[in-house]
Amino acid sequence: MATLISATRSRAVKNSLAKWLITLGGISVLFTLVLIFLYLLYVVMPIFESAKIEPAVNISIDLPANDKVLATGVDELQELVYQITDTGTIHFYHLTASAEQASNQFLVGDKALSRSLFASDGFNQEQLVSVVNSFSANKLLHTRSGKTLLIQPGFHALYANDTREIIAQVNYPLGQKSLKIDEQQAKLPQLAFALDDEKIVFVAFTEDKRLIKTSFIADDEFGSNSAGDDIDYEIIYQQIDLPTAIVNSGVDEIKVTPDLSLAFVRTGSTVWVYSLKEHDEVRLKATITPILSSEDTYLTSMALLSGSSSVLLGDSSGHVSQWFEVATESGRQFKQIRSFNANDDSQKQTSKAITAIYTERFRKSFYTMTASGWVNVFYTTSSAHLWQGQLASSQPAAFTIAPRANGLIIIGNDPLDANKQNLQTFSVHNEHPEVTWQALWQEVWYEGYPEPDYIWQSSSGSDDFEAKFSLVPISFGTIKAAFYAMLFAVPVALSAAIYTAYFMTPNLRKKVKPTIEMMEALPTVILGFLAGLWLAPLMEEYLPAIFMLFILLPLATLLTAFSWHKLPNKVKDKLPETLAPILLIPVIILTTYVAFSLSPWLEAMLFNGDMRQYLTNDLGINFDQRNALVVGIAMGFAVIPTIYTMAEDAIFSVPGHLTNGSLALGATQWQTLVGVVLLTASPGIFSAVMMGLGRAVGETMIVLMATGNTPILDWSIFQGMRTLAANIAVEMPEAEVGSSHYRILFLAAFVLFIFTFIFNTAAEFVRQRLREKYSSM
Amino acid sequence: MISISPKVLATGSDPLIKSPLDLNNLPPEQVALDIKQLNLFYGKKQALNNITMSIPKGQVTAFIGPSGCGKSTLLRCINRMNDLVDDCHISGEINLNGHNIYNKHVDVAELRRKVGMVFQRPNPFPKTIYENVVYGLRIMGENNRRRLNDAAEQSLRSAALWNEVKDRLHESALGLSGGQQQRLVIARAIAIQPEVLLLDEPTSALDPISTLVIEELINDLKKQFTVVIVTHNMQQAARVSDQTAFMYMGDLIEYSDTNTLFTTPLKKKTEDYITGRYG
Repeated sequence: MATLISATRSRAVKNSLAKWLITLGGISVLFTLVLIFLYLLYVVMPIFESAKIEPAVNISIDLPANDKVLATGVDELQELVYQITDTGTIHFYHLTASAEQASNQFLVGDKALSRSLFASDGFNQEQLVSVVNSFSANKLLHTRSGKTLLIQPGFHALYANDTREIIAQVNYPLGQKSLKIDEQQAKLPQLAFALDDEKIVFVAFTEDKRLIKTSFIADDEFGSNSAGDDIDYEIIYQQIDLPTAIVNSGVDEIKVTPDLSLAFVRTGSTVWVYSLKEHDEVRLKATITPILSSEDTYLTSMALLSGSSSVLLGDSSGHVSQWFEVATESGRQFKQIRSFNANDDSQKQTSKAITAIYTERFRKSFYTMTASGWVNVFYTTSSAHLWQGQLASSQPAAFTIAPRANGLIIIGNDPLDANKQNLQTFSVHNEHPEVTWQALWQEVWYEGYPEPDYIWQSSSGSDDFEAKFSLVPISFGTIKAAFYAMLFAVPVALSAAIYTAYFMTPNLRKKVKPTIEMMEALPTVILGFLAGLWLAPLMEEYLPAIFMLFILLPLATLLTAFSWHKLPNKVKDKLPETLAPILLIPVIILTTYVAFSLSPWLEAMLFNGDMRQYLTNDLGINFDQRNALVVGIAMGFAVIPTIYTMAEDAIFSVPGHLTNGSLALGATQWQTLVGVVLLTASPGIFSAVMMGLGRAVGETMIVLMATGNTPILDWSIFQGMRTLAANIAVEMPEAEVGSSHYRILFLAAFVLFIFTFIFNTAAEFVRQRLREKYSSM
Repeated sequence: MISISPKVLATGSDPLIKSPLDLNNLPPEQVALDIKQLNLFYGKKQALNNITMSIPKGQVTAFIGPSGCGKSTLLRCINRMNDLVDDCHISGEINLNGHNIYNKHVDVAELRRKVGMVFQRPNPFPKTIYENVVYGLRIMGENNRRRLNDAAEQSLRSAALWNEVKDRLHESALGLSGGQQQRLVIARAIAIQPEVLLLDEPTSALDPISTLVIEELINDLKKQFTVVIVTHNMQQAARVSDQTAFMYMGDLIEYSDTNTLFTTPLKKKTEDYITGRYG
């Protein structure tokens, strides 16, 4: 009995070992899948998170009682913050404490530098009335007596003892003397400016109600001066003709676009747009009169969006509208593109009117402010309402967005001590404001486009380019490529499968099946470059031949089959049975040859010599050399073995007794095939097609090389497309890690994953249902 | 309980049963199938050796013999199912109504409509019960709903299945039991009104009760059709058939009325087989 027990024991050990190993294998496969899924989600999730604004540093600042803060600013790393007061003094404060080994020790809130901005004579006892901001670091100071000074508060990094130290400094790009903006030296209640390397343009409304444009054109570059020396420049004064409306009511706000092309002049609820491009005159280009929600509503603020195209108009009812130029049939016109509601229904706001709009320097986000300190954050393109909340107790004296848009500086009255002022910084977590679910899948109206559209354009040569991430064109491209591939592959693969499984002699089947299965091992990169570099130009040249082949090849095949069928039995018996299918090979070669040699003749006869030109010129069909036809054929070839192998197995494994049962009832081979064999094999055929579809959707190399990668929405067989898989392959190497682009590519991968997941699940589900229906066979 | 009494015992005492036919000299109007010098080769191997026999109309003829004796092969020759086998060559004649079915002008599909066949394993199609029964009619192009319904009901009644399935005609045939499936297959075969019905070991995959039901059915079927049945079950042959042919190694050893063959076999091999010496 001992042997019996030991045998049982070893068998039990083997059994449990096998059980555990198999379970482990299965679980690890599932686990890996879940991990991939989770990792994709982990990378994708941040783009759908809403913005967060959290208080960071609070500095209580002691100022002489009458001093007013007019402006503030911060360096890129948010280590130093400055404020400019109406006495013309700039104060720099530390926002971070120094490292221990630094040469001079300081704490958060310590003053780094404090100096008067009036370095030269002629500014004695002056008071600042305004500090004009621009998109650059430059600020324009305007004094009570009408003097003007351009300054550039700067930050300079020093590396001493291996630690970085930010040193505060103030530059004077145009020297330290007052700038003569108005020839008549009038005071300038409204003033705006913008500059580039060679030119500064000022637009101002003078106290005596003149609108002027003044250009400073540098002999050298403006940026080259940091020592505070005087720089040589030429001044051009221009007077702008004013509509009477402006003369009567005065000007409320002026903005100049950073590319020096447009000036927006707001008077009341009307905005006058002047073109600054022409040298000889300043032309009134357009007027913007927004339709306001009620008669009591009026415009309260205006701001330029990053990128020089859009203007934002805030009104007294708490709404902001975005306007930009759109090409219409009657020329370019300013249109209201979208509007944003900054009102909060749940909170009782004491004031609705938007007192100020602050825009980010590089992105299309903006912040709205009310008199009660209520702040809303929006992103224009995606129409996203990112954040809202109370950031101050009242309209702050100064508000600035950190250069990297990851922080805010607000200077306002200390809520505890009315005589004191408070500098509060906030950290802003708003990395992906441009991405919303709607923006990814719905039409978006981008600046400069005539209408909302689905656009994928992730990069460009220009700096102020806005990336356009619509997943619609690339998802569409995936489906289009798969559709045309299946259109070609399914009939061919299924016919081949039916023929081999049902009609072919077993000997020939044994050779044919492995041969087609071998095709599956062909690297798709080879198919891809053959398609892109050989097939695409060939098809372009012999387009009629390709279309003829679609008709001639099936015809020739059928004709051959029919002739074989009609061959007398005596002759047939003498020939080997395998000859019939082999006979097709020369027929196909001959047909192809005939089609290609007829092609030029056909082009000359029917298409005025060139079918491609005929398509484009006479029929108005665009023709890309790398198009859906090429992809359909190339990817079809990649998919055929997958479909063929599975479908052939399914058809071949239909039990013989079913076929015999049908034949014994007097059915012909064909009736048996249609009525019994295909029906019984349908679960397998269905999975074969779905597996092929899954492969076509996920296929990368062929579509990468043969589609032209144009992300367009067009079903045309002569146009290219860009698929999700190819898009990821093309763009992933150039996507900055952690950027919106990077995360959206992961989202594309996720969508692709879902696509194939849906196809496979649907396939499996239907297959199970069918199998249940046709079980017990 | 139904007692299974061998028909052999009944024939002798029943005055209504006709005296055995003279199988060697049947009048032409009584002949359903006339097999003449039939030889069949699978490649080089001969499977049937010079078979000559006449199968009478409206009766049940059984082929018995040990495995591999060629009885199924012979049956399959009658509706040319052997055509589907590669390397199968046939010489000789089988005449149905005086026409040789191996004549080259014969439409095989048409022949099989006249000679129906039921196989060893029930082989309903993965369709509904109704669609299974009318399959043969549909492939003949019959689409008239009423005629199809009538034919379905009639054949199911003939196959003694109507009462069991009349409420579930449009459910899958695969939900039926093995015995029901086999009767459904018989109903499917008789729905196209064949002249001859070939049964290839129709009960070998069934339980005893189903077997009994099928056997009773065969008894009814001979009123309408000529039935040829292959069985390896000698008791079954004795119970259901009027004539029995004993085959061995591709030869037709003995062919006579069932009673004679089982009670007084003429050949030694037959006696050895029916007494169970080999098989």
